[in-house]
Amino acid sequence: MRLTLQEDLDGLEAALQEEGELVLRSLRGALNAVVDGDTELADEVIAFDDEVDERYYAIEEGIQSLLARQTPVAADLRLVLAVLHDNLHLERMADYCVTIAKLTKLVEGIAQDSTLLEGFEEMGRRLEEMIRVALDSFAARNLEQAESLVHLDDLVDRANRRVVGHVLDLGGDPERREWGLRMIIVSRCLERIGDHAVDIGEQTAYLVTGEFREFTDASHPGPPGTAPREL
Amino acid sequence: MTVTDAARMAPVSPASLADRARPLPDGTPRETLFGVESLRVSYSGVPALEGVSLEIYRNRVTAFIGPSGCGKSTFIRCFNRMNDLIPTARVEGHISYHGVDLYGPEVDPVEVRKRIGMVFQKPNPFPKSIYDNVAFGPRVLRMGGELDERVEQALRRAALWDEVKDRLKERALSLSGGQQQRLCIARCLAVEPDVILMDEPASALDPISTTAIEDLMHELKESYTIVIVTHNMQQAARVADMTAFFSVKVSDDGKRRTGILVEYDETPTIFTKPADQRTEDYVTGRFG
Repeated sequence: MRLTLQEDLDGLEAALQEEGELVLRSLRGALNAVVDGDTELADEVIAFDDEVDERYYAIEEGIQSLLARQTPVAADLRLVLAVLHDNLHLERMADYCVTIAKLTKLVEGIAQDSTLLEGFEEMGRRLEEMIRVALDSFAARNLEQAESLVHLDDLVDRANRRVVGHVLDLGGDPERREWGLRMIIVSRCLERIGDHAVDIGEQTAYLVTGEFREFTDASHPGPPGTAPREL
Repeated sequence: MTVTDAARMAPVSPASLADRARPLPDGTPRETLFGVESLRVSYSGVPALEGVSLEIYRNRVTAFIGPSGCGKSTFIRCFNRMNDLIPTARVEGHISYHGVDLYGPEVDPVEVRKRIGMVFQKPNPFPKSIYDNVAFGPRVLRMGGELDERVEQALRRAALWDEVKDRLKERALSLSGGQQQRLCIARCLAVEPDVILMDEPASALDPISTTAIEDLMHELKESYTIVIVTHNMQQAARVADMTAFFSVKVSDDGKRRTGILVEYDETPTIFTKPADQRTEDYVTGRFG
């Protein structure tokens, strides 16, 4: 039994889960900031990204050291590669939260549209669920649960597509138009966070099966009943 | 370029990207050199290895890995009938070589060992000159052609020529361990074999000499088929195209331990997604 290797692998997984919890906090902060127009909270979200980055670098360095010293193979190797990818996906999610926070500051003082913000709140709740499912299914090596992320992501994608219609309904007032255009980017950031959660699910599937495959392919039609992934 | 430019987009289709990422096979079709069916080897009636069936492919490096006592050395010795030299050994089942029964009554074991050379764990040069070590086989077998040329060619192929060309008359035992092992490979190559069997060829060598032997295997597989037994799993991962994992089956009463073949596949598969849990446990170090 290779105790050091197992300890290192357990440590990497624990750090990844911890990073995931930080991303959830970052997402909640970004959503509250944009919905409430809270620029102070937006600043906190931006600063908080350093915490996520710290975990990101620690995991990267841990993987580098583990690969050099332990030469993992088989399921161990797949776990290390999956953590490597998931680490990047989580870090990207946090970056989108920062972008949302920055956009919140850019629209400070501009009148908001409550329907659109309610839509963001709904997307946010779904994304929080997706991130939890992504992290839990990875920890439990649960393929079925990981695959359920595709369906959850479809709901986020639909909400994102509705945003453009709402923004067009905002009318011709230049300030409202600016706000609306920036909110399209917020929506896009949220939608991308969902895509990264699906990508984590794909890594779980790779870890479990040894085969890498995309759950859905943006450039090819999916199976009947599934909507294509957003760009 | 636009996305509709189908002709230019074609080379980066997902399928071709996946194909390019696939390290093996190298595109050439597999050609079976040895066919092993239901092989069983016993010593004094006690089975050391049983139920082994696999194919060894030409111009590939095939590694046998597994814990001590799993029969991998016993198995490799079957390919050039080395077990014939042990009076208590009995080989049952079938091994074909180029489609011919290797253990058929008309087959001459000496001819077998000429075509199927072997390199052992400990370098074992004869207490003769470097030149005479390499020339030994061709002389005994009365092989034609210019002997000097044959010796030079064998030493070149074994990546040793540049190091010894000015000291061919010196004693082989004056060479370093790694050089001695390459000399043994040159001695093996001098009789123009088809296959080189290597039983732990680098386990007595330092890392630099080990690298030289591993590089050599990579060169030699262009012209020869190589079968290697190794305790070093990373070595198998580095050098082999195909890997066979052997393990030990313990009888219910715990008294009898017999080697069995657990899994045989392309090396990347064995080290990334082995099909058998026993292979997984062994390669990840969770064995025992």
